[in-house]
Amino acid sequence: MISASHLTRRFGQRTAVNDVTFEVGRSEIVALLGPNGAGKTTTMRMLAGLIAPTSGSIAIDGQALTRASGGTLRKRIGFLTEAPGLWDRLTIRENLRVYAGLYGLGDADRRIDRTLELFALHDRRATLAAELSKGMRQKVALARTLLHEPAVLLLDEPTSGLDPEVTRNFRMLLEARRAAGCAILVSTHNLDEAERLADRVAVLHERLVAIDEPAALRARLTTGRLIVRVAGDPAAYVDVVRMIVGPAAALSADRTTLTVQLPGGDRQTPSIVNALVAAGAEVVEVRPEMPALEDVYMHLMEKRVGAAGSGLAD
Amino acid sequence: MDITRVRALLAKEFIDLVRNRSALVPVAIVTVMSLVLPFGIAIAVPAFSGHPLGEDSDLVRVSQVAGVAGNLSNDARIQLFLFQQFLMMFLITPVTGAMALASHAVVGEKQARTLEPLLATPVSTFELLTAKVLGALVPTLAISAIGLGLYLGGIAAFAAPGVAAAMASVRTLLLTILVAPAAALVSLQAAILISSRVNDPRTAQQFGVLIIIPLAGLMVAEFSGSLWLSATALALIGVALLGVWCLLSLCSVALFDRETILTRWR
Repeated sequence: MISASHLTRRFGQRTAVNDVTFEVGRSEIVALLGPNGAGKTTTMRMLAGLIAPTSGSIAIDGQALTRASGGTLRKRIGFLTEAPGLWDRLTIRENLRVYAGLYGLGDADRRIDRTLELFALHDRRATLAAELSKGMRQKVALARTLLHEPAVLLLDEPTSGLDPEVTRNFRMLLEARRAAGCAILVSTHNLDEAERLADRVAVLHERLVAIDEPAALRARLTTGRLIVRVAGDPAAYVDVVRMIVGPAAALSADRTTLTVQLPGGDRQTPSIVNALVAAGAEVVEVRPEMPALEDVYMHLMEKRVGAAGSGLAD
Repeated sequence: MDITRVRALLAKEFIDLVRNRSALVPVAIVTVMSLVLPFGIAIAVPAFSGHPLGEDSDLVRVSQVAGVAGNLSNDARIQLFLFQQFLMMFLITPVTGAMALASHAVVGEKQARTLEPLLATPVSTFELLTAKVLGALVPTLAISAIGLGLYLGGIAAFAAPGVAAAMASVRTLLLTILVAPAAALVSLQAAILISSRVNDPRTAQQFGVLIIIPLAGLMVAEFSGSLWLSATALALIGVALLGVWCLLSLCSVALFDRETILTRWR
């Protein structure tokens, strides 16, 4: 388990990370979202024991991460850096062999073979890293990160530049690691990936702006509108719906969908559906309008920037 | 120190070097020059010009500083003097190795962006730097040893009678098995220290060249005959160099600032 408590990191006068507190539990994936320069990589580096926080503390599986304990704790951490960082003149297998030695893996050859199989790299094990495509390099770097089967995974922009198939395989692999009990923190710009992959999403912009399940974050921006998709022309049912929501409520119809503001909240939904059915409409879909995670993210960022601009940053 | 980790990194250094043999070309060139120059001056030039070295009274006088037993001919004594002086050239080989290999050690990893994942492993600074020093030292010394073998073999084959036997002295032994490796360690360690404090390999090399200054001074003094390093002096120099290496090792570990390397270098 990863526990970060009141983490702050300053570089001279600049504060990169300010009073950030969060936890990543076993069998949990947390996505770290934030714009460039939000402090994601700095947070990752602190959690990996590469740089020390100016203040605050980190614990891995309950053990404080300090300069003294760093060497021991790093055995339990797998850190995928932003750049793959492979040695170009070494083959894939040789790259993994060096890291197996650095982690002191006793059954190195067996583990390397298993990892190569897992990542479908066995046939290319003798290929020099210099000859690999960007996606392949990232794949090898991920294989290297998982080689020692770490309990904690820190992944900095892991799918950056990967094609959809590799990205999908990567997601499946992370899900397997989660099932194996790993605590996983993934920094990403990809909101879709965060939504698909993460149990919780942390939005970072120097401070921790929000941390919650993706659905809960989206619910913060609930619009109070209902989407009703019907067969045929939705415009034919505008008056039916208007009678329930009243003349002041926003109501629109496009080619397939009615979008209606619910002044009375969710409890008006059954009445609307009943009225439509009674009017002969074939209702295909009824759902509350939920903002995309991207909308939530943009909203949080705007709020954060606005607060900072007005000196109200919390 | 975990020897497994050092071994793993050392294996990487050797594989890397085997696939990038051109990195050793400067060391090989210096070694070849260390062979060609003395044999050219002491053997080839007098043979082709028809003027034996013993005819030059200045050389005869200067060669006296070598303190050689008087049963050698003037030619042989001068050859012995020259071959002993040129032995100092083998101190330059490791410095070249330092420039060619060690100055890239840390900054090269940083530039290739391989340093961050490396530092995220349990490897300690001392283990990392030990592997870097050994990774440059072993091939450099191996080339030096081959060069030295050819040098001594060449003296046995081509020099005047008695020269090879006179070369087999405590002085030669100290120079080759103590002073040369110690000088190699000092120059490599200094290059690695510099490499971990600058942010591009060219700067590391420019600073690294400074290491050659004391050696150049020593060689000029020796060749001019104004300085003759006895076996005792060489032993003291060797021990002093080892002491300097120990200090540099401690400084290297103390000055290796992971945070600065990761966060300030671009």
